[in-house]
Amino acid sequence: MEDFKSNENPYRKINSTSAYRRLMMAYYFMVKHPNWFGKKVAWITSGGPVEPLYAMGVLPFYPENYGAMCGASRMSVSLCEAAEHKGYSHDLCSYALTDIGSSLTGRGPLGKLPKPDFLICGNNICGTVIKWYELQARAFDVPLFFFDTPFIHEEMQDHTLRYVQNQIKAYIAFLEKQLRRPFSEKRFEQVCLNSFETITLWKEILDLPRHHPAPLAAFDAFIHMAPIVTLRGTRWAIYYYRKLKREMEERVKRGVGAFAREEIRLIWDNIPIWYDIRNLSKLLSSQGAVLVADTYTSAWAMDDLDQTQPLNGLAKAYAMIHLNRGLEYKIKKIANLVEQYGAHGFVMHSNRSCKPYSLGQLDLKREVTRLTGKPGLMIEADHTDSRSYAPKQVEKQIQLFLDIIRTKDKAI
Amino acid sequence: MDKKIALAKMLKEFETIASKGYREIASTFSKDCIPIGFFCPYVPEELIHAAGALPFRLMGTPIKMSHVQAHLPPNCCHLVKSSFESLLQGELDFLKGIIFSHTCDTMQGLADIWALQKRIPLQFNLMMPSHLDSEFSPPFLKAEIERFKSFLESHVGKISLSSLKGSIQLFNRIREKQREIYNYRAKGHQIISGIAFARIMRAGYLMDRERYHELLNDLLNWLPEEPESNDHLVPLYLAGNMTHSDSYFSLIEEAGAVVVQDDICSGSRFFRLMVPEDTNPIEGLTGRYLASYMCPTKYKGALAHIETLLREVQHSNAKGVIFLFYKYCESHFFDYPDLKQALESQGIPTLLLEVEDPSYSTEQLKIRIQAFVEMLSPF
Repeated sequence: MEDFKSNENPYRKINSTSAYRRLMMAYYFMVKHPNWFGKKVAWITSGGPVEPLYAMGVLPFYPENYGAMCGASRMSVSLCEAAEHKGYSHDLCSYALTDIGSSLTGRGPLGKLPKPDFLICGNNICGTVIKWYELQARAFDVPLFFFDTPFIHEEMQDHTLRYVQNQIKAYIAFLEKQLRRPFSEKRFEQVCLNSFETITLWKEILDLPRHHPAPLAAFDAFIHMAPIVTLRGTRWAIYYYRKLKREMEERVKRGVGAFAREEIRLIWDNIPIWYDIRNLSKLLSSQGAVLVADTYTSAWAMDDLDQTQPLNGLAKAYAMIHLNRGLEYKIKKIANLVEQYGAHGFVMHSNRSCKPYSLGQLDLKREVTRLTGKPGLMIEADHTDSRSYAPKQVEKQIQLFLDIIRTKDKAI
Repeated sequence: MDKKIALAKMLKEFETIASKGYREIASTFSKDCIPIGFFCPYVPEELIHAAGALPFRLMGTPIKMSHVQAHLPPNCCHLVKSSFESLLQGELDFLKGIIFSHTCDTMQGLADIWALQKRIPLQFNLMMPSHLDSEFSPPFLKAEIERFKSFLESHVGKISLSSLKGSIQLFNRIREKQREIYNYRAKGHQIISGIAFARIMRAGYLMDRERYHELLNDLLNWLPEEPESNDHLVPLYLAGNMTHSDSYFSLIEEAGAVVVQDDICSGSRFFRLMVPEDTNPIEGLTGRYLASYMCPTKYKGALAHIETLLREVQHSNAKGVIFLFYKYCESHFFDYPDLKQALESQGIPTLLLEVEDPSYSTEQLKIRIQAFVEMLSPF
């Protein structure tokens, strides 16, 4: 078996990354010093409707995105331990523990964060955020708006649609009350246009790896997804994704792939293992294996967006994101990704910290293999807490899995 | 008949139901019985009963886990794992249907995995709103309850206005009787022991409800009016997601304490609130299930859980609170540090017990409960 560590790094650097770094630095600079810009800050869940915030001139801050940053910079473990010291269980979501630990200690990649003015919580990603935001609302003594999006096991019911649409209106009223100024429909429409354009660009970028070789690997998408999460609705995100798209299209034209070798194409399911992205990317690239698509970054490429009715369209789109849908939907989605991206197999991260993503994966794996004939691999980890991760074991599993694919598919 | 013999006979009937495995209980059902399974107090049992079926609650049984690992990750609670294991082992094949109500992420995930097995003919996912304090929640829940009613009518039996009203009355009376038993035990527990009490409560989710109501009536009639004094016992409040298991109440009792009130899943969360009987039944059910608060998966404002618990504990005159949680229950564990702090700042000591499989943990729990009760004991 080839030792990937001795190989030269076959990963091809994305030039837009420097623009990405500048953009995210500017964003975090504003979030860190909102008073300098005369802005209020709202903490919002990753699946929460951000457009009304930008329309009202509020800066959104994403604790989950920050949790990913803490994970990638390997600061999560000490922050989780600080939260556990306060009495929070080790079994809780490590994004939440990281955020609680950061709030308690004032530590993290950005240091002490300013107190939010209010919180916006949408449970379309999980029920964990309800508890997480409740306790932060108590800790900071700030108002909390809760956007309740009932889970869609099969089809969305008419009364469910009415329920979420009515709540979006209540959300606007909440913002007007907090900010003491009226909501501007005109401004909101502009933000929605920006948001729709950003989502379209992101979708188009994620579609490009259907080409052979794939110009972009999912590990790149995990990094470059930060603007679609945090800056959706702004012109900045549009400019950035236009640039990234141009670069990726250029790669497609020239037949340049994300890695120097592309022999095996894989799909990724679940949140990345933030603290080990670099290592796993290196392992895969050294083996000529590319993650061509994933279920995580595509959660922000909303499929059911009705652009003719921004408010109602947004409510529906947010209620129907990947994590708020039943297992049958997820099985079809991954099977489609395998077919559309010409994948040889799929890798599932059984994520100790994310139950909505991880429950059902074992059945999902069997069903996708039954439907596509492609093998799947399950690896166990946690998105930010490295205490629950055995890297050597996972590397071994991946290498064996790639060997199986090679043996199975003689064309590789 | 001697009162003690009569009482023992009644308790025996509760025990025969509550101490059996699922399949054994099912063997006692009549041929025309339609058992419909459910998990949590957010399922309106009244509707199932009004459709002519038996609401049958799955509360987690001791079972050797041998199949479930192929479907669920290890960090699911015992209730979820053991119930799914029971399904996979065929212990639940007698069920004609299963009802899931939206509560936590694990139950939500289980609902889909369960459906894939296709072992139970009928399944309904009731989308209980998570937001209990929004003006938009009542119309949403009402529509969900109506959808549930239509489902039952299509697949189980017609629900007439009078049958639904009758079922609402029956369940309200059961709640009243259970509350009386709670109050009685809080005054003098010795006649109904901890184990017997847990079985009485559990039987109420498994057996024919008319018979259960009769038994509760008889039990209350046979109990002496003046219970023995329990001044020597330390009054405790029990909080958590556990259902009544034989061991907890007897462990507490043996340690020299008595549970005077609880907010556990099969306890006061079921009987705390009545369905209004003088209004449209669907609206009554909507109002009751929306008002039912204490489950941490539901949101009613950031301070609601703390304020409710503090008020209830103070009202109960409990000297301490035992948190009894299933391991891996995120919703409860998120609340725990703030609840603990709020109680202890009011001078109310707390004890956290984290349990994976209730049938395995007795001795560990015993020592911790004894130490806690000794700390609170005035003697």
